[in-house]
Amino acid sequence: MSAEARVWDPLLRIAHWTLVASILATWITAELKLDAAKRAHEWAGYTALAVIALRLAWGRIGPRYARFSQFVRSPAQTLSYARAVIAFAEPRYLGHNPLGGWMVMALLSMVAAAGLSGWLSVTDRFWGVAWVQELHEALANALFLLVGLHTAGVVFTSLRHRENLVRAMLTGRKPAPRPGDID
Amino acid sequence: MKPRTLLVALALSGALLPPAAARATGLATCDSGSREGWQAQEKLTALLKEKGWQVRRIKEDGGCYEVYALNDKGERVEAYFHPRTLAPVPTGAKDHKG
Repeated sequence: MSAEARVWDPLLRIAHWTLVASILATWITAELKLDAAKRAHEWAGYTALAVIALRLAWGRIGPRYARFSQFVRSPAQTLSYARAVIAFAEPRYLGHNPLGGWMVMALLSMVAAAGLSGWLSVTDRFWGVAWVQELHEALANALFLLVGLHTAGVVFTSLRHRENLVRAMLTGRKPAPRPGDID
Repeated sequence: MKPRTLLVALALSGALLPPAAARATGLATCDSGSREGWQAQEKLTALLKEKGWQVRRIKEDGGCYEVYALNDKGERVEAYFHPRTLAPVPTGAKDHKG
């Protein structure tokens, strides 16, 4: 067994799991019918926004596999990867695969949009404005749908390439590159 | 499971995860019966305006009127009122009689 490859840096992993925790917290606090939960909901949302800001910077200046330029592929490449998935012939990527890369961007955008709309809804200017409240709810629901798809993609890719991607996001390490892998 | 079947199953399980409905928080409930005995929202708006409130939105929530407003001090408030009596309902109240 060859050495494992170090893929996800510590800051990226901390950012990922902080985001998971804060989004989980926004969901729980939104469902709780308690006055005190509202403040907690707001702070969970601000935490998520802070993580997004950090991740956007890290995507430009961070280490190799954290960079958007490493994993955001062209629509043509992404489409061809999607076709390979359907044909059950997709290569393993050491970093994000093309579909996973676009899911990262979709998740970051949706958290930002949901978070910003939530923030707007508690400003004096937009307090109690129906469309802002409804937009926030719609974006939050869309985010939960993306989270479900993201999780399904992680499970699917883990099974396909016999590697535990959840563990990789915890330890930062993945099985060493095999022949045919894309680095 | 055949690989293809697995792919389809996973795609579906992801797409069908029930999106957690971001519902309005029901901070109070009112025992307000049928709508026929309710007072108009406009009346509540007028009442609160007299107190110096700027009413932004009135919704029905848990049988109460849920009001989003800036109060006379300019603070953001989310307050509940009984639709029959238009009396304030404390948050946390269950089946408030008004």
